[in-house]
Amino acid sequence: MEKALRVIEEMARLGIIKAYAIGGGIAATYYIEPVLTYDLDIFFIPPREGLDELAPIYEFARGRGYVDQAEALLIEGFPVQFIPAYNDLVREAVAEAATLKYRDTEAKVVKAEFLAAIALQTGRAKDRERVARLLEADVIDRALLARILETHGLKGRLEKLEGGAGEK
Amino acid sequence: MKSKSADTVFERKRERRRLLAKLPFEKKIEIVVELQRAAAGIRKEAGRKPWVLERPERTVR
Repeated sequence: MEKALRVIEEMARLGIIKAYAIGGGIAATYYIEPVLTYDLDIFFIPPREGLDELAPIYEFARGRGYVDQAEALLIEGFPVQFIPAYNDLVREAVAEAATLKYRDTEAKVVKAEFLAAIALQTGRAKDRERVARLLEADVIDRALLARILETHGLKGRLEKLEGGAGEK
Repeated sequence: MKSKSADTVFERKRERRRLLAKLPFEKKIEIVVELQRAAAGIRKEAGRKPWVLERPERTVR
């Protein structure tokens, strides 16, 4: 994973992506208990909004001899899924990313509050479960989460989750 | 209806999750790989292979 993270950092340095942040299961694992996941999800902001935001990434990757595997790119043998920031919430999550350290390598990761907001917006059962775990792990700044949810019209979703939370 | 024993079990589960959440990120990634290996015996889907983690790099002094 270390090598893959370095390649992603390099892509940002080279301007192939403008900014990025790890999301999904690996971001969740950073904050809460480890979860079963198979891809390193990378939310990214492309340097230019265009028709095919993934094309420069795949061009760079193929130039390095990396191949694709299902929806992911195998970077240094590691499945990485690049996801263009698809709305204002995800764009803000990338722009406001935190830094994590894996061994000697630093990488950008979505903050816990944005991870919770994105999960609330996505709204699948596993996403609601993730929000509950993030809240339980005490890694959420409630004021920041409230601001994010208010901005992106998601306040009601947290209230609904907490109101109906019977799970342990 | 509340059950004191159930509450105790749930509290222990929460405590276990809190402890796991506090592990170093490197250790958590090792656990993710263990979960993938455990799942590999049940779900044999393409693209669902357990990761192979690099060995930590050592600085030669």
